[in-house]
Amino acid sequence: MVNLTGKFFFAIILVFTGLGVRAQCVFRLTGVVTDADNRQRLSGANVLIREVRKAVSTDEDGRFKVEGLCAGSYNLLITHIGCQPLEAHIHVKEDLRQDFVLPHAQGQLSEVTVVGTANTRGTGISGEIKGRQLEATRGLTLGESLKQVPGVSVLQTGSNIYKPVIHGLHSNRVLILNNGIRQEGQQWGSEHAPEVDPYIANRLTVIKGASSLRYGADAIGGVVLVEPRLLPVNPGIYGEINSAFFSNGRQGVISGIVEGNARKIPAFSWRLQGTLKKGGDAKTPDYWLVNSGVEEYNFSVAAGLQNAHRGVEVFYSQFNTKLGIFKGAHIGNVTDLQNIIDRQEPSPEIKNASFSYSIDRPYQEVHHQLLKIRSYLATGNAGKLNLVLSGQYNNRMEFDMRKFQSSSNVPQLDLGINTGNADLVWDHNSWKGLRGTIGATASLQKNESYKQRLFIPNYRAYNAGVFLIEKWSHAKWILEGGLRYDIRSIYDVSDNQAGVYDDRYFSSMSGSAGFTYRWRDDLKTTLNFSSAWRAPQVNELYSDGLHHSSARVEKGNPTLQPERANSWLLNFLYNPSKWDIDLGFYYKDINDFIYLAPTYPPVLTIRGAFPAFEYRQTNARLTGLDLSAGYAITAHWKAAVKASLLRAWDKQADDWLIQMPADRYEAELQYDFGNGKKLQDSYVKINLQQVMKQTRVPDSGNIEKQLPDGTITLQPDYAPPPGAYLLTNAEAGTKLMMGRQPLFLVLSVNNLFDVAYRDYMNAFRYYALDMGRNIGLRVKIPLGVKKQ
Amino acid sequence: MKQFHRPFFVALLAFALSLAACSKDKDEVANEEELITTAVLEFRDNGSSDRFSVIFSDPDGEGGEEPVYFDEIRLRPNTTYSVTATLLNESTDPDTDITAEVAEEADDHQFFYLPAGVNINVAVTDQDNAGLPLGILSQWTTGEVSTGTVRFVLKHKPGNKASNDDVSKGETDIDLNFVARVQE
Repeated sequence: MVNLTGKFFFAIILVFTGLGVRAQCVFRLTGVVTDADNRQRLSGANVLIREVRKAVSTDEDGRFKVEGLCAGSYNLLITHIGCQPLEAHIHVKEDLRQDFVLPHAQGQLSEVTVVGTANTRGTGISGEIKGRQLEATRGLTLGESLKQVPGVSVLQTGSNIYKPVIHGLHSNRVLILNNGIRQEGQQWGSEHAPEVDPYIANRLTVIKGASSLRYGADAIGGVVLVEPRLLPVNPGIYGEINSAFFSNGRQGVISGIVEGNARKIPAFSWRLQGTLKKGGDAKTPDYWLVNSGVEEYNFSVAAGLQNAHRGVEVFYSQFNTKLGIFKGAHIGNVTDLQNIIDRQEPSPEIKNASFSYSIDRPYQEVHHQLLKIRSYLATGNAGKLNLVLSGQYNNRMEFDMRKFQSSSNVPQLDLGINTGNADLVWDHNSWKGLRGTIGATASLQKNESYKQRLFIPNYRAYNAGVFLIEKWSHAKWILEGGLRYDIRSIYDVSDNQAGVYDDRYFSSMSGSAGFTYRWRDDLKTTLNFSSAWRAPQVNELYSDGLHHSSARVEKGNPTLQPERANSWLLNFLYNPSKWDIDLGFYYKDINDFIYLAPTYPPVLTIRGAFPAFEYRQTNARLTGLDLSAGYAITAHWKAAVKASLLRAWDKQADDWLIQMPADRYEAELQYDFGNGKKLQDSYVKINLQQVMKQTRVPDSGNIEKQLPDGTITLQPDYAPPPGAYLLTNAEAGTKLMMGRQPLFLVLSVNNLFDVAYRDYMNAFRYYALDMGRNIGLRVKIPLGVKKQ
Repeated sequence: MKQFHRPFFVALLAFALSLAACSKDKDEVANEEELITTAVLEFRDNGSSDRFSVIFSDPDGEGGEEPVYFDEIRLRPNTTYSVTATLLNESTDPDTDITAEVAEEADDHQFFYLPAGVNINVAVTDQDNAGLPLGILSQWTTGEVSTGTVRFVLKHKPGNKASNDDVSKGETDIDLNFVARVQE
C-alpha cells in the first residue's frame, strides 16, 4: 500500500515537472530463452551483448534482463550448455522485449536477425528514417532527406540549399545533433543549410517539439538526430560503398566506409568514412538554373577503446562545400526584383544559358570541423557516467558578384565561429522503478572577426545548463518528466566600426512532462506537455544591413527578450495486423515569438529604397496535425497516405504568420515482389505529392507596389504565394545477389511528368521555377572480411 | 576507482576547451570593397562656367545610419550644363574613387538619367569602346521653370550590354531619384 502510494506520488511529480527523453542510455532489454525442441525455459543460459561486452544469465524461469542500454544496434550471442549458440541482431530504440529460442542440436553457429519490436516507447513524439527508406534518400541533402517525416518540410534557397522546418519552425529553433553533438554552425538566415554529411548516419530521427530537454531547451521546433551506427565489435574489417547518380544537374555522389575491430585488442574498433559530391546546373522544365552547381567533400574518422566498464571514443569530421547560387537570383535592388517578377521568368541571357559544372560568383563556401571525445565509466550496477567533450569550427564565406573584374577575389562575407562544449551526464538504471539521466552541460562560443560586409558583429557567448530527466513505467503506463535550467550570455560584441553593443544575459527554467497509455497491444496514446524557452540570437539582436538575397534591410533589436513556447502534443499509434497509423496533433503557444516585422518607411540607400524589417516580438499560436497511415492490402500490395497541416496565427496582429509551409498530402502505392534467388526485397512504388497553395498569409505589409493605374499600394510580399502543385514520383529497388555478394539498387524518378511549379517555401520562387524531372540511381555495396 | 579516473577526465576537459580557442589566424580587418557610398554630379554652366555639385552620400553603406546628404538638383531655366558623375567609397580612408573602375570596364556599365515632370533634357556624351553610351559625361539642357525628379541609375551588364538597352536591363549598382527644380 505504502509502495503503491509512493509510486503514485512519483507519477504526479513527474507529470507536473517532467519532460521527454531520447537517446539516453537507460533502455532495458528483457526476454525469455527457451529450448527449441522441448519448449522448456532454459535457466543459466548466457546472453552476451557484444557491443557493450555485457553478459547476463537467465534465471530459473529462463528470463533475462539487461539494463542501461543506449539506443542503437547490437549483436547478441546466446549460449547454453548442450545447445547450439545463437547470434542475433537487435535494434534498441526504446525498452525492448525479445525472446530467443535455442536449437538443441550441435552444429554450426546459426544466425538470426531480429527486428526490434517495441513493447514500450518513450513519451517523445518522433519520426525516423532508416534502412530501406534511408537508402532511397542517399545522395540528397539532410534537409531533403527529412522531408518524408510528416510535419517536416524544408525552407529552400534554389536547388541546393535546404533547411529542415519542423511544425513551421526552423533555423535556431531546430536543433541538429550530429553524432550526439549540437551542430553549432551559422543557422541565421534561410540560405544557411546545416553543415552535415547525411552519409554519416544510418538513422535520421526527428523529435517533434521541445520534449527533448536533453540537448537544450532552445529547440522549440524540434530536434534532428543524425546517428551513425555503433563501432563494430566483431573482429574483422568491414566496408560499404555507396554511390548515387542524378540526371538533373548531372550529379554524382560517392561515399565509402571502412571499419574494423582488432582481434588482438578486442576493445579497439575504428572507422573511416568519406563522401565526394559534384553536380552541375540544375534544370527546371524550361531552362537550366545557371550557376546552381555543388561540390562537396567530407570525411570522418572514429576510433574507440571500450569494454563493459569504461571506454573512450574519438570522432573527427570535416564537411566542406561550395554551393553555386543561381545567377538569376542576383539583383541590385527592389526594381530589379520587381522586373523579374513581372516578367515571370529569368532574363533572356540567364534563361538561354547552357549546362555547366562550373561554379562562379555568387557562391558560398562553407567548412565545418568537429572533434568529439566521448568517454564513459560504469558506476557499478547503478548506472553509467558519460563525459562528452567537443570542439567545432565553422567558417562561412559568401562570394557575391564582383562589381568590377579588377576587384580582388575575396569573399564579401567571411565569418568564423568556434564552439567548445562539455557534457557530464550520469545515466542511472532502475532505482525504485525510476530510470533517468542527470547532467550538466557548458559551452563557450566565439564568433571571429567578420570581414568585408557587416551582417552580424563579432561576439562571444557562453551557455551552461543542468538537467534531470526521469522515466517510470508500470503495466500500461509510461510516465516521463524532466527539468532543465539554462543560462546564456552574449558579451564582447563589437563591429569593425564604432558600433556600441550591450552585453546580454538570459536565464530560465524549462520543463516537460508526458505519459503514454497502452490501451491494447496495438493502440497507444501519448500526451506530452513542454514549456521551453529560447534566448534571442545574435542576428536577432544585432544584425543590421542589407540582406542581399531577399532584397531587404534587416535590423536587429537589442532589447529583445527570450521567447517561451508552451506546447501540447497528442499522439495516437494504432497498428493492428494490416494497419499502421500514426496520428498526431500539436498546439503551441509561443509567447514573445521573435519574427521579422515589416516597418515603414523603406530604407533609402544608394541603390534605391529597400523594404525595412525589424526583429520584433509577438504572441504566436501554431496548431497542426501530422498523419501517416499505412495499409497492407495483400502480402504484395501496400498503400500509405500522409498529411501535414499547420495553422500559424499571430495573436497580436490578429493575422496569419508569414512564411509558413502550406498543407501537404501524400499518397503511395507499393508492390513487393517477394524474394527470388537472385533478386531479394524487390519493390516498385509510385508516390503522389500534393502541396496546396498557401492562402494563410498576412493581409498587409510594407512592400510598395505600383499598380497598372499608377497608384501605389502596400503589400505583404513581393509576389503572392504560388499555386498548388502535384508531383508524381516513382521508385524501384532490389537487392541483387552476385553469389554471396549483395548489391543494393534503387532507381527513382522525381517529378516524373516534369511539372513546372514554384514552392512558397523556396526563397528563389520569385526568380525561377523549381527543379524538373530528376532520375536517380543508387548503388550500395556492402563489403566484409570476417575473421573467425 | 573514480579517483583514478579523475585526472583523465580533467585532461580531456582541458583539451576540449582548448579546441574552442583554436581558430584560424585573424587577418587584418577589411571592409567591403568597392562599396559605393557616394554619388556626386558636378555641374558646369556652359555659359557662365559656374560650377556646383549635387551629392548623395551614405558613408556607412546600406543600412545602418541614414544618408547624410541627398541634395536637390537646382538649375536655371534655358541653360546648358556639362555634367560629370563621380562615385566614391567614403568608408575607406582616404576615400576611394570608383568612377575610374567604371570607366575602365565601360563596356559592362551604363549610366541613365531619366527626368520626370521637370523640363530637363539629358544627353549622354561619352561612349564605351564599342561605341555604346556610357554616361560618366552628359549634357543637360533646361527649359521653363518646373519641378520634378531626375532618376540617376548605374547598371552593371557584364557581357550583355547592347544598343538601345532600357533601364530595366542588368543589375542595379545605383538608383537615386533626385528632386530636380528648374528655377530663376
